Amino acid sequence: MVSFNLFNLLAWRSLILRMIVLFVFIHKAGSAQQHDILLKGGHLIDPKNNIDALMDVAISNGKIAQVAANISESTAKKTINVSGLYVIPGIIDMHVHVFQGTDAYSTSVANSSRSQQADAFSFRSGVTTMVDAGTSGLRNFRTFKAQSIDKSQTRILAFLNVVGNGMIGRFQEQDVTDMNPEMNPYMIKKLFPEILVGIKSAHYWGDFTSVDKAIESGKLADVPIMVDFGEHTPTNSIESLFLKHFRPGDIFTHTYSEISSGRESIVDEKTKILKPFILEAQRRGVIFDVGHGGGAFSWSQAIPSFKQGFLPDVISSDLHDLSMNAGMKDMTNVMSKFLALGMELKDVIERSTWAPAKVINRSDLGHLSIGAEADLAVFNLREGKFGFTDVRRVSVQGSKKLEAELTLRAGKIMWDLNGISGEPWKN
Amino acid sequence: MKNKFLSTQKYRFINYSFLQRMNSFRIHSQKGLSIIILALIPFFAKAQDYDLLLKGGRVIDARNNIDAKMDVAVKGGKISKVAPEILVSSAKKVVDVSGLIVAPGLINIHTHVFAGSNPGFSDGQSSQLPDAFAIRSGITTVVDAGTTGWRTFPDFKAKVIDPSVTRVLAWINIFETGFSSGSAFEPDMETLSVQKTTEVIQKYPESIVGTRIGHYKGKSWVPFERASEAAKIANVPLFVECHMPEYTLQEQLDHMRPGDIITHAFENVSERMTVVDEQGKVRPFVLEAQKRGVLFDVGHGGAGFWFNQAIPAYNQGLLPNSFGTDEHRTSMNSGMKNMLNVMSKYLIFGMSIPDIIARGTWNAAKSIKREDLGNLSEGAVADIAVLSILNGKFGFVDSGQNRIEGDRKIEAELTIRAGRIVWDLNGLAANTYK
Repeated sequence: MVSFNLFNLLAWRSLILRMIVLFVFIHKAGSAQQHDILLKGGHLIDPKNNIDALMDVAISNGKIAQVAANISESTAKKTINVSGLYVIPGIIDMHVHVFQGTDAYSTSVANSSRSQQADAFSFRSGVTTMVDAGTSGLRNFRTFKAQSIDKSQTRILAFLNVVGNGMIGRFQEQDVTDMNPEMNPYMIKKLFPEILVGIKSAHYWGDFTSVDKAIESGKLADVPIMVDFGEHTPTNSIESLFLKHFRPGDIFTHTYSEISSGRESIVDEKTKILKPFILEAQRRGVIFDVGHGGGAFSWSQAIPSFKQGFLPDVISSDLHDLSMNAGMKDMTNVMSKFLALGMELKDVIERSTWAPAKVINRSDLGHLSIGAEADLAVFNLREGKFGFTDVRRVSVQGSKKLEAELTLRAGKIMWDLNGISGEPWKN
Repeated sequence: MKNKFLSTQKYRFINYSFLQRMNSFRIHSQKGLSIIILALIPFFAKAQDYDLLLKGGRVIDARNNIDAKMDVAVKGGKISKVAPEILVSSAKKVVDVSGLIVAPGLINIHTHVFAGSNPGFSDGQSSQLPDAFAIRSGITTVVDAGTTGWRTFPDFKAKVIDPSVTRVLAWINIFETGFSSGSAFEPDMETLSVQKTTEVIQKYPESIVGTRIGHYKGKSWVPFERASEAAKIANVPLFVECHMPEYTLQEQLDHMRPGDIITHAFENVSERMTVVDEQGKVRPFVLEAQKRGVLFDVGHGGAGFWFNQAIPAYNQGLLPNSFGTDEHRTSMNSGMKNMLNVMSKYLIFGMSIPDIIARGTWNAAKSIKREDLGNLSEGAVADIAVLSILNGKFGFVDSGQNRIEGDRKIEAELTIRAGRIVWDLNGLAANTYK
C-alpha cells in the first residue's frame, strides 16, 4: 500500500510539474499571438495624442491594444506591412446625407435616392464614421435608423433636423409649426443619445426663427447645432448669426460657399478680404465646417481666406447625389484640396478626425489611444499632377493626393485597395 | 444626302469632306452670292460648330476598328466627327486629352441597382445606386441582372431607371418579382409566365435587354426553360446567373443558345462546378460551349472571381466577353471595388488595352444587342470614357483574398453621358483658378 501510495504521489508530482510546464508553454504561446492585427512600419498621425512619427499599431478584440515604436511581429496573428504609408484614426465625415430610400413623396434627400448609401462612400475613403446632417427629423428618424443606420457597417451618427419631417422637401422645411424645441431634446437626450449628436437648421427662407428654435433645442439637449444658413432673400447677416445667436461650439457649415444670393460669404466677393468678424467668431468658439457639397466650395473663398490666416475647424464632404460626381467626389478628394491649398498633412488629418470628434462631443472617437475602438485608416500620399475642381468648375493644381489603402472598422478590415492584407497568389 | 444638304449652313460644313465642302461652295457661287460673304460663313459657323472637342487622345473604338490618335467632336449630345485633326476653333469647348485613352462609355452588363429601403436586393439596401458607381468608373450604361421580374419592373423603372444619369438597362427575371434575398429559392411554377415576361420585354424594348435565370434551388428545368423560351420569343439573350445548386455546369451550358451569357464565369464555390479542373485545364465542354457561341461574363461579385480559375482560363483562351462586376453591397468593398479594377486585373494577366476596351464597350453592347451603344460612330449618342493608365505598384485581390501584383491600373479621367461631362477627376475640362 505504502509503495503504491508513494508511486501515486510521485505520479501526481510529475503530472503537476508537467501541467505547470504546459501552462507556461500555453501562456507563452498565447502571449506570442496576443494581437489580432499588427500594422507595422507606418507613419502614425494621431493628433489627439500628439503623435506624428513612425509607430506600429497593434489591435486586439477590435480595440487599439498597443502603439509603440517597435512591436514584434511574433505578437500578432496577422502583420500588415504599412511602411511608406500613413496610419491615422478612422476619418469622421461630419456632414453627409445617407438616408437613402425610395419614398415617393420626398423631393429632397430624406428617404430618397438623392441620399447615398454610407458604405458605398465611407471605407473606400478611409471614413469609419459619418454624421448625417439633418436629413431626418423627429418624425422620420426611426425610419432612417431602421433602414440605413442599423444596416450599415459604417458608424452613422446624426444631427436631428429641427423640422420634424427633416429634408423631405424645401417647402416642408419652412414649416415653423413642425419645429418642436421640446420634443427634439427628448429624442437626443433620452431616446437616441448614442446616435444623435446635435440639431440641424437648414434651407430656411425667413428670419432667425429656425436657428433660434434649433438653439433652444440644443440648449435643452446640451448639444451643438449645425446651420446651413441657406436660402434667405435678402441674406441674413452672418455676423449676427455668429456673434448674437450662436453659442460656442455651434457649427456654421458650407464655410466656402459663394452664391450670388441667399447666403452671405465669409470673404468679401469684390475686395477678396476676409470679413473682420470671422476670426473673432472662430476665437469665440464658432465652428467652421467645410460641407463641400455640390454648391458650397469656391476657390475664390477658400484661397483668399487661407492666405489671410483662416483655417476651417472641420473638413467634411456634404455627400449627396449632386456633390458625389462633381467637384466634391469623396472625402479624400476634399481633404486633398486642403493639401493643395497649402495646409500641413497633420492639420488636414486633425480636421477630419479628432476635431470633428470633439465638436460632436464624441471624445471616444477620432484617435488611437489604447483601448479605443480600432477604427483606422491607412493612407498613401500619391505624388503627381492632380487637379481639384470647385463647384464652379474652377480648378487648382496640386502635387499630392490622399488615397485610402486600408480601412479598419472596430478591428475588421473593410477596405484594402491594393490587397496589402492579402496572401500572394501561388499558381 | 439631299436633306442634309438643305439643312443649316453650320451643319453642312461640319459633316462634309473637304471635297463636298468645295462642291457646296461652288453651288452657292452659282447662285450669285458674294464670294466674300460665303467665305466668311464657314469661318463663323465653324467657330460655333461643336459643343465639345476632345483633342489629341488615343481613340479606341472596336466597332470602327480605330486605335489611333484622333480628335472627337461632340454636338447636340451626339458624336459629330472623329478625325485625326479637328480644328480647335471649331468647338465651343476644347479639352486636351493627350496621353489619355478615349473610348466609348463603358458598359457594365452585370449589376444590382434597384436600391431602395427594403432589406435585400429588390427596392432594397443590398443593391447600389447606379450613379454612385458607374460614372466615376467611366461607365455610362449598366444592366441590372434580374433584380426585377415583369411585376416589379415598372416600379424599378420609376424609382431608379428614370431618375438616373447613368443609362440603366435590365435583364428581366423569369421570376415575376425578381429576387430579393441572396439565396436560392423555389417559386411556384404557376407564376413563371413566358407570356408576361415576353410582354414586358416588348413593352420596354429600350430598357430590357434579355431574360435572366438564377437563385433557383429546385431540380426542375422548367424555370430555366421558360426563361430561355421567353428570350427566344423576344429575340433577346438569356443571362444565366448563380445560385442554382441542382443544375450542373454542363447542363446549364447545354441549355444555352449561342449569344446566351453565363456570368460568374470564374467562380470557385461549392455550389457550381468550376470551369477549370483540378489539373488546371479548362474543361473541354466549357471550351465547346464557347466555340458554339455561349458568352462568358466575369460577374466578379463578392465570391465570383478566383485567380485559380481566371488565370488558367485566360492562358487557355477562355476569355470573358464582358467585365460585369456584379455590383452589390457585399462585393463593392471586396476584391471587386469597381469595373476599372476588374478590367485592370486583365491588364495584369496580359490582355492588351484595345482588347480590354473592346470587351468593356463594343463586345458588351453586341452581347445585349444594343449596337447603338459601345461605339463612337458619327451620329451615335456621345457616351464617352476618357481613361488614363497609371504606372506604379498595385495589388489586386480575388474573392479568396489572394493577391497578384501589377504595374498598371486604369483610372477614369472624364465621363461624358449624351454629350454632357458628368465626371471630371482632375478638372481637365475646368477653368484654372486665377
